[in-house]
Amino acid sequence: MKVGQSQRSARWTDYVLRGRSNFAPFWKFYLRSQERHILFVLGLGFDPRMCSAIREILNQGGDGKRNCQLLVFDEGPDSPSKQHSDRVQQNREVLQQLLADQGSIREHELRMWSADGRRIGSRNAALVFRRIEDLSAYTDIIVDISALPRSIYFPLIGKLLSLLDGRQHNTSPPNLHVVVCESVDIDRLIHAEGIDDDATYLHGFSGGVDMEATAGIPRIWIPILGEDQAGELERIYDLVHPDEICPVLPFSSGDPRRGDNLILEYRQLLLDRFRVEPRNIIFASEKNPFEVYRELTKTVIQYCNSLSPLKGCKVVISTLSSKLLSLGALLTAYELRTLVGIAHVEVSGYVMPIVDPNILNNVSEELFEIWLVGECYAT
Amino acid sequence: MRDPRNPFRMRASEQIASDATFLKLFAPGVLALLPTEGLFDRLHVFQSAPGGGKTSLMRLFTPTSLLTLHAYRADEDYKDLYQHLKSMGVLDDSGPRLLGVMLSCAKNYAVLEDMELEDKRKDRLLFSLLNCRIVLAALRGALDLRRLDYPDHLGRLQLNITHELSEVLGIPLSSTGEQVYEWARKIESSICQTLDSLEPSPSLSLVGHDELYASHILRPEQVMIDGAQIADRVLIMLDDVHKLARRQRECLIRALVGFRNTASVWIAERLEALSASELLDVGAIENRDYGQIINLESFWRSPSKRFETTARDIANRRARIATDVEIESFEGCLQSTLDGAEWANKFQVALETVTSRVRETADADVDNRFREWVGTLESFEGTTREKLLAWRTAEILIEREKRKQQLTFPFPFSTEDLEKKDDSAVRAAAELFLMQKLRIPYYFGFSRLVAIASSNIEQFLAVGGDLFEEAASAALIKKPHDLPPERQQKIIQKMATHWWDSELPRRIPYSRETRILIEAIARYAYWETYKPNAPYSPGVTGIAITMADREKLRNTSFLETRPDAGRLAAVIATCLAHNILEAVPNYPQGYQFWMVMYLNRLLCVHFGLPLQYGGWRPKGIDELCRWQQGGFRPPEKGEHLL
Repeated sequence: MKVGQSQRSARWTDYVLRGRSNFAPFWKFYLRSQERHILFVLGLGFDPRMCSAIREILNQGGDGKRNCQLLVFDEGPDSPSKQHSDRVQQNREVLQQLLADQGSIREHELRMWSADGRRIGSRNAALVFRRIEDLSAYTDIIVDISALPRSIYFPLIGKLLSLLDGRQHNTSPPNLHVVVCESVDIDRLIHAEGIDDDATYLHGFSGGVDMEATAGIPRIWIPILGEDQAGELERIYDLVHPDEICPVLPFSSGDPRRGDNLILEYRQLLLDRFRVEPRNIIFASEKNPFEVYRELTKTVIQYCNSLSPLKGCKVVISTLSSKLLSLGALLTAYELRTLVGIAHVEVSGYVMPIVDPNILNNVSEELFEIWLVGECYAT
Repeated sequence: MRDPRNPFRMRASEQIASDATFLKLFAPGVLALLPTEGLFDRLHVFQSAPGGGKTSLMRLFTPTSLLTLHAYRADEDYKDLYQHLKSMGVLDDSGPRLLGVMLSCAKNYAVLEDMELEDKRKDRLLFSLLNCRIVLAALRGALDLRRLDYPDHLGRLQLNITHELSEVLGIPLSSTGEQVYEWARKIESSICQTLDSLEPSPSLSLVGHDELYASHILRPEQVMIDGAQIADRVLIMLDDVHKLARRQRECLIRALVGFRNTASVWIAERLEALSASELLDVGAIENRDYGQIINLESFWRSPSKRFETTARDIANRRARIATDVEIESFEGCLQSTLDGAEWANKFQVALETVTSRVRETADADVDNRFREWVGTLESFEGTTREKLLAWRTAEILIEREKRKQQLTFPFPFSTEDLEKKDDSAVRAAAELFLMQKLRIPYYFGFSRLVAIASSNIEQFLAVGGDLFEEAASAALIKKPHDLPPERQQKIIQKMATHWWDSELPRRIPYSRETRILIEAIARYAYWETYKPNAPYSPGVTGIAITMADREKLRNTSFLETRPDAGRLAAVIATCLAHNILEAVPNYPQGYQFWMVMYLNRLLCVHFGLPLQYGGWRPKGIDELCRWQQGGFRPPEKGEHLL
């Protein structure tokens, strides 16, 4: 299969991304420009960043509804996250206070496990919104992924994009925003425990990679590298069995040596076991998901075109890094969903040490707004 | 991909892309685990912990491996393997005689269980997905066997099927490969699209099958290419069967057992020693409906040298293909003796200490029972290390006899008594005690490296890889590449500590509880092992529960009444599935049958325990539940450790 460059102009070539110091001014201008009916979609968790974005947006004022769909997910009785139930409760109370005079909170329970012990959270996340009518009361849907695991926000955002893209063209779509609070300090405190034995393709993002009918086609694996993910990398490798590997390193990055340090951390795995060609390494900005999207999309298309004499290729992306970088992967996988799959490994839960609240209050946080669908893209 | 710098880092099968490299690294000794009778006549089940070698074994029988082996059959590196397979009738001088169809069950089958459908319909979809994938894999394999391009040359394939099948499946009686490919591709594509759809309701038009028809479609006499039968046999190999949902696994096994002599099927799955055996649950009878269940770790454990021989072959084959250095023998990279001059002083000092201690103990014995033993030891000929070992062994034996003094007559012991009591187990305990006390290396040499692998090839490659890395680096800068014992031990201990401290917590479920239980078992084993009289020499490295207790841990109604036992069962199941504990079920002792659970040998390194098997102590569910909650605490008035 050949993907013509001319036929494919990347959907998010022009984009709206507002981060750090531009986050609050953007929302102030946006909310005060006209009445906006907003549905916030948040995950309830122990992450201290859970309410950061919604607090900042609500602080900017404006008129209209301010409702919240709160996703309550249970990672199972054995999850190490259970030990943080007090923090979860604190976050819930903060959210209730924030919306006390402004709107309602509707809790949506996400079943994460089937009766026979299989993970079903990813599949259920795609069922949070079933029809476009579920969104009709709002002008803006804001999905805050700060406290959501990848297995939830990928199918959730994928489904929202699919609903909005599938709407009748005579109706104007609600705006779809994704917001995220990034904090290197908090990321360093939170650690995953108990990764699953097997990697899987995320629901809605299998890309037909494991179809037997096309089993002979070369497989390209693009892992977006983050720290402390060796176990995940091994398991995903076992799932994908790639013919070629193109690791993505963050550059530019807050820490200019981060890419080098990642290579040092994974040198044995990447160079000795997976035998990656150093020239295959891709660099993408740590703070710009649209650049990641652009780099990945370009890579996928180039590979498909180059390998067209071999009937094309299948591409698998794995995001083992920050949420901003992951969003770039999501956009590529959504746009090229017949070619690209997202391979992922779940974990039993996350742990965070007990930290002095003063320290938590003083960690540096960066808020980002990623506008995916809506009036800014109107032609 | 780049050439391998350290070939030990390549996983047995998954990370070796080239068939030629895979075959070059495949040790023919592995084939000894295949049954000699009925290999292709009935269902065979292969079980092992992850990394046990199941996938490599299956890969060997795939068309591209067999073709490559046939092409290289005259080459020294491949000759043995070729002869082995030839004797099994898998290939001959004209080429492969078997069409091996390998399919992983790790794909999206389990997702079928999450669809909003009745169980019966889910089963039909499972069968249709399996049928079309087995057929697709077989079509590709058939073209590979004739070195034809897939799917371009499917038109040259012909499948003749029965009337009944033709009607049920909607395939013409005599179909070309293209027609069958289209039929299977459409079914697979529609089911996969539905499974991956973000929409809630599944399509009603999905094709379901009542049976596993693939084995009937793929009868060897029915698969032709250019008018000639393609192979004498078709072997369907289903890997990772444990990754199906529980109900699907039962359903599949029930269907496979029903085949009985109509198809060659092998299935491979992870060992689940605490889960119900589906084979027994569906009423299957061994040797009629299925062959023996082949547990790879059990096979390697007995007889003891079998794994060592194969591991040596595997290691040497890998060492030879390293790109930057020329190392012919991996064993040559590991010094295996402590008789060098650098240890002589340490042994001499220790010998003087132990000798005077034994003499003192013998002199203090009022009945002079050990005088002859001391005399024998003084005239003992050997290196300083051997003398030290002999004296330390005697010290353990004297300690044992002293403890018996209330029960026996105080007759002096003769030299013959010493020889009779001085067996290899006591000597091994003495060596361990010396290692602990004098801080001299114990975990070194090829034989111990093999023991540390816990009969698991991947673990062997992981530990061997770290050692090879250092040896290869030394060889690269033209330094001696035979690692001294203390360096070997340091590398192995570092790896064991890393596994315990960093890998286990990240990589397994119930990691917190698992570490508590395993640490309790290890501390208990240490407490028993290092008693001065070494009562279970060379030491304790495992525990056992009765088979009756094992049944309780599998019984859901019992576990509902005992949540603590439920947690214990979950943790033990995790440990067994990940090879943290090695299970030996149905071990007879003292009018009872036991499930012995040994610590993985890499953990023995971390906790300073011996590497031999055999030393285990019985435990009950209640005691293990207490350990699970609070760890092991030695009795306060217990014996002093060494």
